[in-house]
Amino acid sequence: MNALEIDHLNKAYGSLRALTDLTFDVHAGEIFGFVGSNGAGKTTAMRIMLGVLAADSGQVRWKGSELDLEARRRVGYMPEERGLYPKMKVGEQLEFLAGLHGMSPTAAKGAVEHWTDRLGVGERRGDDVEKLSLGNQQRVQLAAALVHDPDVLVLDEPFSGLDPVAVDVMSGVLRERAQAGVPVIFSSHQLELVERLCDRVGIVRAGRMEALGSIDELRATDHPTWLLDVDAAPDAVMASLATLPGLTTTPVTEHPGQLHVVATTRDAEAPRAILRAALELGAVREFSPVRPSLADLFRGVVSAGEDPAVDPSASDAKEGAR
Amino acid sequence: MSSPVWMVTKREFRTRMMTKSNIISLSIMLAVIVVGAVVASFFLDRETEGPSSSVAVEQGVTDLQPHLEQAASEQGLALELSTLTTDEAEQALIAEEDPLDAYLSGDPSAPRMLVAENADPAVVELVTDAVNAYVLTEQIGALGGDPADVGTALATAAPQVESLVAPEESEFDGPAFVVSVVMISLLLFALIGGGSMISMGVVEEKTSRVVELLLSTIKPTQLLAGKILGIGAYALFQIVVLGGALTLAVTALGLTEDIAVDVGAALGLLIVWFLLGYTIYALLFGGFAALVSRQEEIGSVTTPLMFLLFVPYYVTMFVVVNDPDSTLARVLTFVPFFAPFVVPVRDALGGLPLWELGVSIGLCLVTIPVLIWLSARVYQRGVLHTGGRMKLTEALKG
Repeated sequence: MNALEIDHLNKAYGSLRALTDLTFDVHAGEIFGFVGSNGAGKTTAMRIMLGVLAADSGQVRWKGSELDLEARRRVGYMPEERGLYPKMKVGEQLEFLAGLHGMSPTAAKGAVEHWTDRLGVGERRGDDVEKLSLGNQQRVQLAAALVHDPDVLVLDEPFSGLDPVAVDVMSGVLRERAQAGVPVIFSSHQLELVERLCDRVGIVRAGRMEALGSIDELRATDHPTWLLDVDAAPDAVMASLATLPGLTTTPVTEHPGQLHVVATTRDAEAPRAILRAALELGAVREFSPVRPSLADLFRGVVSAGEDPAVDPSASDAKEGAR
Repeated sequence: MSSPVWMVTKREFRTRMMTKSNIISLSIMLAVIVVGAVVASFFLDRETEGPSSSVAVEQGVTDLQPHLEQAASEQGLALELSTLTTDEAEQALIAEEDPLDAYLSGDPSAPRMLVAENADPAVVELVTDAVNAYVLTEQIGALGGDPADVGTALATAAPQVESLVAPEESEFDGPAFVVSVVMISLLLFALIGGGSMISMGVVEEKTSRVVELLLSTIKPTQLLAGKILGIGAYALFQIVVLGGALTLAVTALGLTEDIAVDVGAALGLLIVWFLLGYTIYALLFGGFAALVSRQEEIGSVTTPLMFLLFVPYYVTMFVVVNDPDSTLARVLTFVPFFAPFVVPVRDALGGLPLWELGVSIGLCLVTIPVLIWLSARVYQRGVLHTGGRMKLTEALKG
């Protein structure tokens, strides 16, 4: 199977449990969004994938075999803590890193030119990294992850600190790599971006994978909800809908006149029945399914665990990693 | 060869060689050596011109002239000869400018030597030699012999000294002492330079966090090994260029003739001991530097190591140089941290049996794998640790 498999990773820093049986996989050609609050264990997991940190137990596999040092040379990695040699020229530095990943000097030179041009820092190849703005250093950092044409991309917060143009370039590059068959995993707190970009998402909390799947799968619920806005008295609409089986209707507090209709059962006929009932009362201004955004899902997952007895250590986990 | 270690080595060497500050400082040091050599040769040449004397003779003693000239050339004295009358000579002897040193008159075999006040001993010696030679020639001629044959025979008439017991070795030898001190100072300079470059390099990678990116593709030991090799090559390059320039300058000035020590061989041995000493100390500097995360904290790990370098340096300078065959010196020959300083000095001073040299090098070579293990262990645990200073015991336990 052409997938990056993260299999039952466990990691503890002393008494702090940073990861507990973390298990998921990222298929070839898929963009996987890795979300979770600060200290949930995302960085720890990514460091373990790259062998920078050793797991207490569990395994990371690529194409069915362990992701060892040799295989890791084919991975593109962007660490959370950005790091480049400050007093080394952009071009030389990227060529050096490409060489460490096993590229020949000529191939490295070409790849460096390609990626620096593509990421808009081609003119700065002759400058020391420390002379670049933080945003441009970030672009060089991404170039460092891409320069050796990796088979797998692991990017920790690749979008933080980027301007909107750079975000677009970065998104384009990630999509392009995924289309080329590369599994891409990245973490981010920019949830709209994750929602737009990712094929699948994993939400971690306190070192555990709490929700995993495509955005649609995560949104799927046994209680589909619709927003209904009818040109009629809300009370009348509520009374009318109450006659239909398996529906509860509540007014939307922020928008008087609008109603949330929640089906207590999955019934494909429900939307048609609701619309029919509403149309009898007046013109329907709006009738649409209410789909929770990733941010809503995220809040749901995070608040579900807001039991201090369960999660005393999560916020410290990242500190321990340093 | 494109192994990761080699690539790291190349990067370390290049980034240090290609910096403006390196090129400038190296050029300045070379310029200082060249200028120093030129200035020294100017002063040395002036000295070899030597003192010059002016001697005048009376008309009747001109027969002494060839003998005076020959004696002057034998004594390395520049001689200005003239023929004057007594009156003229008396004037010239007390002249303000370029006074005459002596005036010879009367019998050539026992001339009267007139001087201004005190006779210059060098001139007295010169004149004595010349008169002796004149008398000898006259007498040989009178006896019917050939003065030239006698001169040749005399030139080779010298004893051939042979001794039954070899002379006491390791007697205090000024030039050898100077060479020793210069050698171990150069070594100390190179080891401190290399050690601080390594510790700064390790901490730079930690503070800039580039180490995480590097360690996702290569092993910590490969990174450390490449760093030590690259910086070692750079330090060796410096020592060879500067040491070589110094040797060349000293040789060009002809100073080596005065020094009993074979400077070329000493430099060769110094390079061997630099490599051993560098490896031993670089491993410690590299491993220990990984314990700290900020440049400001480097001192807390390098100070003990600097101390570890200065102790053998001073012990060698004050104890070993004075008595290279003392028990202490012999014992320290077999202590790896001392050997790089003690052994080249003992060797330069001529007091080191070959087997001691061999055992000493052997012991250093045996110590190195132990230090590699220690350093790699500390480095691996320390290099990804950020925040405060990591305790050594913590890194060793882990």
